[in-house]
Amino acid sequence: MPLIDARNVSKVFGDGQGENTTALDDFNLVVVEKEFVSIIGPSGCGKSTFLLLLAGLELVTSGDLLLDGQPVNGPDPGHAIVFQEYLLFPWRTVWKNIEFGPEVRGAPKNKRAEVVSKYIKLVGLEGVEGRYPHELSGGMKQRVAIARALANEPKVILMDEPFGSLDALTRENMQVELLRIWQENRCTVIFVTHSIEEAVFLSDRLVVMGTHPGRVKKIFPIPFPRPRKREIISSADFVALAAGVKGLILEEEK
Amino acid sequence: MKRGNVISPIALFGIWELVGRLELVDPLFLPAPTAILAEAWSLARSGELFIHIGVSLYRVGMGYGMGALVGVSLGILMGWSKRLEEYLDPLIEMIRPISPLALLPLMILWFGMGDGSKVIIIFKASLFPVLLNTIAGVKGVDIKLIQAAQTLGANPGQVFRRVVLPASLPTILTGLRISTALAMLAIVGVEMLAAESGLGYLLVEAEHVFDTPKMFVGLLVLGALGYLWDRLARVAQNRILVWHKETTLEGKI
Ligand SMILES: Nc1ncnc2c1ncn2[C@@H]1O[C@H](COP(=O)(O)OP(=O)(O)O)[C@@H](O)[C@H]1O
Ligand SMILES: [Mg+2]
Repeated sequence: MPLIDARNVSKVFGDGQGENTTALDDFNLVVVEKEFVSIIGPSGCGKSTFLLLLAGLELVTSGDLLLDGQPVNGPDPGHAIVFQEYLLFPWRTVWKNIEFGPEVRGAPKNKRAEVVSKYIKLVGLEGVEGRYPHELSGGMKQRVAIARALANEPKVILMDEPFGSLDALTRENMQVELLRIWQENRCTVIFVTHSIEEAVFLSDRLVVMGTHPGRVKKIFPIPFPRPRKREIISSADFVALAAGVKGLILEEEK
Repeated sequence: MKRGNVISPIALFGIWELVGRLELVDPLFLPAPTAILAEAWSLARSGELFIHIGVSLYRVGMGYGMGALVGVSLGILMGWSKRLEEYLDPLIEMIRPISPLALLPLMILWFGMGDGSKVIIIFKASLFPVLLNTIAGVKGVDIKLIQAAQTLGANPGQVFRRVVLPASLPTILTGLRISTALAMLAIVGVEMLAAESGLGYLLVEAEHVFDTPKMFVGLLVLGALGYLWDRLARVAQNRILVWHKETTLEGKI
């Protein structure tokens, strides 16, 4: 059974004054468990909208969006989302931010401590548990956001351009870290990005979306074996695949 | 404090003292600082000063306390419920611009010459900054922060206590601090107009008998009280925000 099953999903936003925007139209995508799927496409094609639907923060206008066979009908700790702006709680320390999910779900204190320290280790935040978000660099904040999402041990983790505001070096570093975390944790990842290289490097499959209205244009399987090293991005196969994706996106933007 | 910060007051008091000693200006208008200190000492020794301070502080404390309590609780409700805000907003905008002192005659008619009418005036003066800041604070909470909490499994009550309250607390505390100054303004006005005790009364009484040093004592004490209260509020603000960062709000507020 697929973990995520989007069938003819459409999402129309009304602005309250009769103006409607069709963000997604007849969107179809099936994702199996433990898969790493990236979504790429021009601005405004509905990538964020799809993630918000999966997160349960928006509801489909028509079509079926199934998670584990059940229609998504609201936020649920089983499908966590990591936003580009991190959205950490500024009044909570790193530790307390990561603890938030287990805490509101009523996990006992010792279990909480166990989970939090596990994910602090996993994302490499040892030593800064007591700091507040404003005392962290962008890369560290994003690690906290990822750990906070993972602390609920979700089946799916949705990431909306999580590395978009990081500098190039930190970004490359975070990509490698994310793959390591995913490999150790093996939850399903839906990853939205603007970077073709990032998408090809990370994913099992790459979904290219088209715009007006937002829909799936083509899905590329990414055959490179895992674990992957950064070096593969300069291999001929990688470059050729990335060029193919780029051609398709450029065609869309014409 | 930087050293430069004390030079100008010292110079001022030095010149002032000189002017007073040499009687360059009639002491009736400008007594020397040492004469003022002597007056303060005698007022303190007789206990008169502390009675006035105590009475003023009691009135300010009651009025401000009520204003803070009502302002924060009503502000949270109004920030949370758009409906309630729409209902109450016209009323608030009607009462808010009225000067607190303008209400004094009516309040005396309603509540008599005792502390009641004065406390109500202080309440009126303190309420609105707290109320408006609380509303703004609650309404200003980033919706995406709330969504982040929801996706992590928080129910509406948990979102409120763990996200909305802490996120709006800095703005609420700012309102609470602004009100301290307004409450001090109002208490002086009220006591000058209609009281037989308190620091405002002390000023008027001094004026009636041309006791200029006493007037200066009143002003000094008011300045010091206002300053101390603001300091205290600032320290509390910093401490609460740290405390707040370090705990979970569970069961609190
Ligand atoms: N809450 C909303 N209300 C109205 N229109 C929206 C809303 N969210 C997104 N849209 C519109 O839907 C389309 C897709 O947006 P989005 O999913 O954010 O695109 P992407 O993330 O791919 O850049 C855009 O045209 C955007 O303006
Ligand atoms: Mg987007």
